[in-house]
Amino acid sequence: MAGIVGYGVYVPKYRIKAEEYIKAWGNFAADGVKEKSVVGCDEDVVTMAIEASNNAIKSAGIDPKNINTVYLATTSAPYAEKPSSVTVAAAIGAEGDVRTADFTTSTKAGTAALLACLERVKSDDSGRCGLIVASDAPAAAPDSSLEHALGGAAAAFIIGKKNIIATIDKSYSLSMETLGERFRKRDEPYIRDLELRVQHLQNAITATIKNLQKSLNLEPKDFAYVVVQQPDGRAAARIAGKLGFSKKQLSTGNLAEYTGDVGAASTLLSLAAVLESAKHGEKILLASYGSGSDAICITVGAPLAAPKIEIKEYLQNKEYIDYVKYLKLKKVLSTFRT
Amino acid sequence: MTSYISLPSYLNTIDQRYRLIGKKCKSCGTVNFPPRVMCIECGGRDFEDIKLSGRGKIHAFTIISRGSAPSEFDDQQNMTGEFGVAVIELEEGPRIIGQLTDCDPNPEKIRIGTEVRATVRKLYEQEGVIRYGYKFTPV
Amino acid sequence: MKDVAIIGAGQTSYGVMPDKGLKELFAEAFIEAVNDVQKGIDTADIQEAWIGTLGTGGAQLGNFAPLLTEQVYLPFIPAQRVEDACAASTFAFRDAVMAIKSGMRNVVLAGGVEKMTDLPRERNRYWLGVSGDVEWERLAGTNFPGIYAMIAMRHMHEYGTTREQLMKVAIKNHRNAVNNPKAQFKAELTMEKCLKAPFIAYPFTIYDVCPVSDGAAVVILCRADWANKFTDKPVYIAGIGAGTDYLAIHDRKDITRLRAAENAAQDAYRQAGVKPDDIDVAEVHDCFTIAEILAYEAIGFAKVGEGGRLLDDGDTEIGGKIPVNPSGGLKAKGHPIGATGTGQICEIVHQLRGDVQKPDRQVKGAKIGLTHNVGGSGGTATVNIFRI
Repeated sequence: MAGIVGYGVYVPKYRIKAEEYIKAWGNFAADGVKEKSVVGCDEDVVTMAIEASNNAIKSAGIDPKNINTVYLATTSAPYAEKPSSVTVAAAIGAEGDVRTADFTTSTKAGTAALLACLERVKSDDSGRCGLIVASDAPAAAPDSSLEHALGGAAAAFIIGKKNIIATIDKSYSLSMETLGERFRKRDEPYIRDLELRVQHLQNAITATIKNLQKSLNLEPKDFAYVVVQQPDGRAAARIAGKLGFSKKQLSTGNLAEYTGDVGAASTLLSLAAVLESAKHGEKILLASYGSGSDAICITVGAPLAAPKIEIKEYLQNKEYIDYVKYLKLKKVLSTFRT
Repeated sequence: MTSYISLPSYLNTIDQRYRLIGKKCKSCGTVNFPPRVMCIECGGRDFEDIKLSGRGKIHAFTIISRGSAPSEFDDQQNMTGEFGVAVIELEEGPRIIGQLTDCDPNPEKIRIGTEVRATVRKLYEQEGVIRYGYKFTPV
Repeated sequence: MKDVAIIGAGQTSYGVMPDKGLKELFAEAFIEAVNDVQKGIDTADIQEAWIGTLGTGGAQLGNFAPLLTEQVYLPFIPAQRVEDACAASTFAFRDAVMAIKSGMRNVVLAGGVEKMTDLPRERNRYWLGVSGDVEWERLAGTNFPGIYAMIAMRHMHEYGTTREQLMKVAIKNHRNAVNNPKAQFKAELTMEKCLKAPFIAYPFTIYDVCPVSDGAAVVILCRADWANKFTDKPVYIAGIGAGTDYLAIHDRKDITRLRAAENAAQDAYRQAGVKPDDIDVAEVHDCFTIAEILAYEAIGFAKVGEGGRLLDDGDTEIGGKIPVNPSGGLKAKGHPIGATGTGQICEIVHQLRGDVQKPDRQVKGAKIGLTHNVGGSGGTATVNIFRI
């Protein structure tokens, strides 16, 4: 059996409040987001992934040489070609015979990578561990309402067979063709969304959660926590509510209110937050979204022994910036091109 | 501008820039960082790798105002204006210069002796290639 | 070994000179040096040339020296480019002295030239960061102002040196430069103006920092026993000290001291058989204000950590106990990198001969002079001692 043996997160220090957008634009289009995290001028998904991964390695108490799989999930890798997972592997000291892959082009890349990593570790008899890190900082045009919600963060998990703290019991995946919803063509810097009146997010997550519950013979009340993809601060609550989950089940893992939409890292960042408070035997239901959905059932085992930097600490250690500084960090005001 | 430090040279030092791997002299025990062919203290040539913790203290610092950095940092200064640079005394002994990040570049708030830790950040981008490497952030 | 004397010295004005290139600058200094030889010299007697430059801008990095010598009607002689960052031309001078000392040559030229002001600011910042340990220092995002600023911060931390003391270096040197027709800045500074200026690399403001400059300087040397053929006022070379240090300040045990300069000074004093007390006038490398204080300590004018006090007491002003930088120094006279060292020597030659252009700048009765020239943040240094 394989499962989660350690985890760590990273949230950048800078925050911008909804009010700053209202001052600049007259409105703030990200429902339920009070403030969001902003990636610093010298940060990107690679640097965030390295921080989260190092935190995860510390919490698992393993030697990085004992890692033979590094999967990175992101929709906003710095290079369109040249794997960022390899940079992360080099930076954490996972050397030599390591399998690396970037999972990308969808906000459900995080769960896809988690499941792939689990399968890899399960089928591998070397006794070594896998690292899956979801790190994302999606970008949209500054004059698009889609941009308002976008934040940045990373969450990393060590998957192994020894000292498991949470088991990944079962998953259900759905593939759903979508058109005009959150896309970015090759060579384009910004994601777009045609704001079609479709219910893909709700439909996909409803389908995967219901199917997973059915296959496990479980109901909403059997889960202590539910985590749902968070494109803003309200969508997850709306969908979870319709599926019969309470606010209490959702609130621990509903972070977009403070981080904004962190894309492919959304559900895994929330999973880390839930693992921090979950108790032995409690079940977690998690469902991602992005042209389909992965729903995953997790059962919490033994608590972590090694110290870790809690997500609370990252959420509290913050510095507010104004909208002009925000635009500078997003390089919107730069004419300098390298 | 063209390259000052070639990409192959940079690649040769990523163990240092990404992970702070020092070289401990087998003759005298001195930790050499950055690595040298011959020990800075005794001239010895046999070393073992040592992963430095990245923790240390500010030995001296300055605040680089806009226009006072080498040109490859113009992009960063466009975004942030001034930034801190410090000589850090690492807890294993060696000193190294590094940029301060996630740190208010206010000389009234930074002190000699302030504790810092290393973090990997983007240093600069050139020829379309991002150089990642350590910076330091107050603990 | 043969003794060596300077028989002629010349330099251009320092400053922004868009109408003059490397060749014109060098030729101007050369012609002045030749004209300065009191009894005249046939330039065909010059057997060899050593020319210091960093090569700022990169326009002419290869075969730099012969390009300049052939321009001044000295083709065919051996000519070498010497590079030790901002100490380039005193290292060139050292080579010229040794060529004569060895007995191999009788008359040799040493000089330096730099063209710095014709670059876009972005390229200038590139060239100002090429003389440290580029791989490790520069990648932290700092040029020399930042490196010296950290040295200053540590000096202030350990010894209580103050920003006011730093500014006194600038104020003194600007005051001296008012009487130097060849200086880049000829305006006095006030303490109030200096302290209120915006920081460029804390604790440095623009007034702690020397300018970028164009300029050239040339000296003509011969074996001492020939000197009187050329002049009644030869200036003899009593000591040529030089040293090096770790380039990166993080590799130095004590970043408040420039070991290269300390070693160079000890070497020069030993050769000359004199002590710091014997020096009547000195030109030192004040690329940044703190650098002049470090210079006092390196050349033994003050104990380590106590350099700032000389400024409080006015000891290094013209008329003080030991005048330093009567020319205005790098801070106000200007700092055309390759020319700076031989430019310092030109000033000392005039000071010892008693013929500086404006008497207010003259250190009266000076018999022994010293130059202190530093490359980068102290990776290289020379200290030379001269006497009449």
